[in-house]
Amino acid sequence: MREVDASGFKVLVADDNEVAQRLYKRVLEKAGYPVLIAADGLQAVDLALGQRPAMILMDVAMPGIDGLEAMRRIKAEIPGMPIVIASAHSMASDRERFLAAGADNVLSKPFQLHDLISIVEQLANPK
Amino acid sequence: MPGPGPTYASRAGILARRTAPLAALVAVFLFQTILNVDTVVVFPLYLGAVLMGAILEERLESFAVAGVAVLALLFRPMMASGHTSEIGPAVLLSAVTLGVGTVVNELTRHSRSVAAAAQHRVVELSAAERSLRATLESAGVGLALAGLNGNWLEVNQPLALILGRSRDELFRTTLAEVTADGDQAALRDGLALLRSRDVMSWSADVHVVRPDGAVLPSALLIARLPTPPIGDATLLVQVSDISARERAQSIANCVAAVRQVIVSSSAVDAAMPQLLEAFSGYLGWSVAQYWAMDSETHTMRVRNAWNTGGPILEGFLHASRGMSVALGSSMVGRVWKSGVLSAEEDLEKASGDERLTAARSVGLHSAVAFPIVDSGEVTGVIELVSDHARILQDDEVTMLATAGVEIGQFIRRSETAQALKRSEADHRAIYEHSPFGIARISSGGELLEANPAVLRMLERDEEAMRQTAWPELLRAYDQVAARQRKAQFLAGITDGSSIQVRAATSSGKWLWLQLTATSIPDANGRPEHVLVMVEDVTAVRETSDRLNEALEAQREANANLERTDRTKSEFLSIVSHEFRTALTGIQGFSELIRDGGLESDEVHAYGGYIFNDADRVNRLIGDMLDLDRMESGRMSMRTTDVDINDVLMEAISRAAPSAVTSEFKSDLDARLPIVAGDRDRLIQVVSNLVNNAVKYSPEGGTITLSSRVDGRFVLISVSDSGIGIPPEEIGHVFERFRRVRSGAAQSIPGTGLGLTIVKQIVEMHGGKIWVESALGHGSSFHFTVPLSPEAVKAMQQLQHA
Repeated sequence: MREVDASGFKVLVADDNEVAQRLYKRVLEKAGYPVLIAADGLQAVDLALGQRPAMILMDVAMPGIDGLEAMRRIKAEIPGMPIVIASAHSMASDRERFLAAGADNVLSKPFQLHDLISIVEQLANPK
Repeated sequence: MPGPGPTYASRAGILARRTAPLAALVAVFLFQTILNVDTVVVFPLYLGAVLMGAILEERLESFAVAGVAVLALLFRPMMASGHTSEIGPAVLLSAVTLGVGTVVNELTRHSRSVAAAAQHRVVELSAAERSLRATLESAGVGLALAGLNGNWLEVNQPLALILGRSRDELFRTTLAEVTADGDQAALRDGLALLRSRDVMSWSADVHVVRPDGAVLPSALLIARLPTPPIGDATLLVQVSDISARERAQSIANCVAAVRQVIVSSSAVDAAMPQLLEAFSGYLGWSVAQYWAMDSETHTMRVRNAWNTGGPILEGFLHASRGMSVALGSSMVGRVWKSGVLSAEEDLEKASGDERLTAARSVGLHSAVAFPIVDSGEVTGVIELVSDHARILQDDEVTMLATAGVEIGQFIRRSETAQALKRSEADHRAIYEHSPFGIARISSGGELLEANPAVLRMLERDEEAMRQTAWPELLRAYDQVAARQRKAQFLAGITDGSSIQVRAATSSGKWLWLQLTATSIPDANGRPEHVLVMVEDVTAVRETSDRLNEALEAQREANANLERTDRTKSEFLSIVSHEFRTALTGIQGFSELIRDGGLESDEVHAYGGYIFNDADRVNRLIGDMLDLDRMESGRMSMRTTDVDINDVLMEAISRAAPSAVTSEFKSDLDARLPIVAGDRDRLIQVVSNLVNNAVKYSPEGGTITLSSRVDGRFVLISVSDSGIGIPPEEIGHVFERFRRVRSGAAQSIPGTGLGLTIVKQIVEMHGGKIWVESALGHGSSFHFTVPLSPEAVKAMQQLQHA
């Protein structure tokens, strides 16, 4: 679809669930975005600082430090890093909580594939 | 220098008088000489001239006239020698002439001096009388001469004034007629005594009556004058107007009476009639009324009245009683408004006061009203009404105004005293009848007084209360106070702090008494005594203790509920998270498959993911339903005889096929008694523990199952050599969704409900479950199942044997 446009827009996916990792990887790569995978919060911080992805899709409930703590640490180093919280905590209050914690956007699990892609596209091609 | 006519004439007269005798002598001598008449013949003529001189002249001139006459008589005989014979008679005649002249002159002079003296006396007397009369007229007192029967003979002007009549009118009356009827008898007696000379003077204070009916108090003094040689005996009557003195006396008496009432009375209603009587009686008013403020309607009404009696007053009193006076209206209202005394001499002129104008028609004449003042506020008005004309004098005005202030202060004092008395009586009644105990304690801690309620409460008499019960209470108070870090009883309690103490009645019943102590300061602010309120709070305390227990239970229940509630919502949140996590894969991959365009191996793999997550969701639902049934007590146990060793073996046989890397060992007590339990559930417990052991031993290893009797229980253990549990997690492993997800454990799947369900089943069997673990060295889960009572008995028998 937009493989040419998206090339080089590297997405870091932080999620401890292997099935979810595979889903993200499959869908985003198919859409033309290179994908990095982190299986927990600390790994996410390391990869974000080391690899400088274009954006991060961050789960919250992860072993070690959770996604919010990882986001805080990353934003402390790279304030402009776009981070989308993708969580199965999908109540309205959760969405507010994540935005308040500094998330650039929130993706509720489970999600429809085009929602995932459009969130990433928005960040890849800002108007 | 011509003087005034009369002076000149009198001088001429005096000259004529002086020269007349000498001229007569000369005329007689010439007559004798010329006619040569015999001396004897002319002698009478000479004698006449000498007599004239003697009468008219002073002594010297008279003597000179007589001497000249003697010379004239002797002249002829001496000169004419022929008349020698006449010498003898001539000498004789001369001597006679001289003698007669001298004697007559002396007599004349004497009689003249006597007449002059008499004349002088008359002048002096008339002057004295004039001054006497002037004195009489100007005297301050009435003076009169009267006959023995009291008929006026002479009156002075002051008396006429006192008696209100002209002198002429007065002469038509008698002393008795101007005297008031009440004094007539006394006057009659007095006059009788004077007539009979039993007394020479008589005095009395009487009232005299004027023609207009006014009565004047007078001092009457009657003296009997010495009876003159001629005429009737007379009385000197002295009448003095003592109305001023009398009024002053009345006022003084009235003031004294008012003060007496004020100092000796305590209640206004008792004092006021006496005060009104004093005003009426001493000052001579027919009616005295006290108008008091009615604070509700803000009008004045008659509260007390006094009158001298008589039917004519009835109507007036009645009219007054039925009246409410507003501020400023009528005389009473005007006095109320202005705060100053107001008088009406003639009630006919009492404009705008119909009550008073009407009073005039029933014979009342004058009125005065003065304010009762307290601290500058008019609180009442006293009204005095007279049946005759009264002109108020300054001293009376002053006295009434002053009395108004004194009465005002008295009313305030008395009302305050009344209120105090009432409140004192109230307090006493409260003290005596109060259901609360009240005790007065000295500053030294001794019981001074205890009311009946205290004595009743503790079933003591006052003596026992003082000697034993109070000291015990005091000790108890101080002990509790010390525990509660409050002030000791005598350490200056001023705050009314309450302390509850245990106290025994004389019959040994235990009470809870609440003591509330307040120190009462004396006039100098030092604590004089302590007032203690004693309440029997036994029932309250017991109720409140029960209530506290109930409250505590309620609180606990609430806390549990809250905890449950929180747990429930946490649970919901966790469950939904678990479901959505599982659904993420299911939804995502099924969407990919649906959209097509996949390789067949992709479809195969995605189908596997979908299946696994769907299975996980299914297990989750099953576990949750199980747990819910167990926790709500809706899960029934199918209790049968269970062989635990059999259960363990069953669990191993179920787990073994999928646990290819693990080695199972069993260490079973062959003599293990049969227990009562739900076999399937117990298999679920052991299977869960075994599955966990397999899951958390990713490297493989030995899993050991053991059974043995431990006291009254069967003790079952499932041990592995796996990754173990971090110490900080070991206390939480039986909680819902508390899965260890750190390190090597993070990718081990599970619902997080297994151990919670296990714990529930064990506890439903009356057993316990616990875990021992060392990180990296494996975990041991132990649980117990109680033996049946028969099994316990059997075991004991076996041991004894």
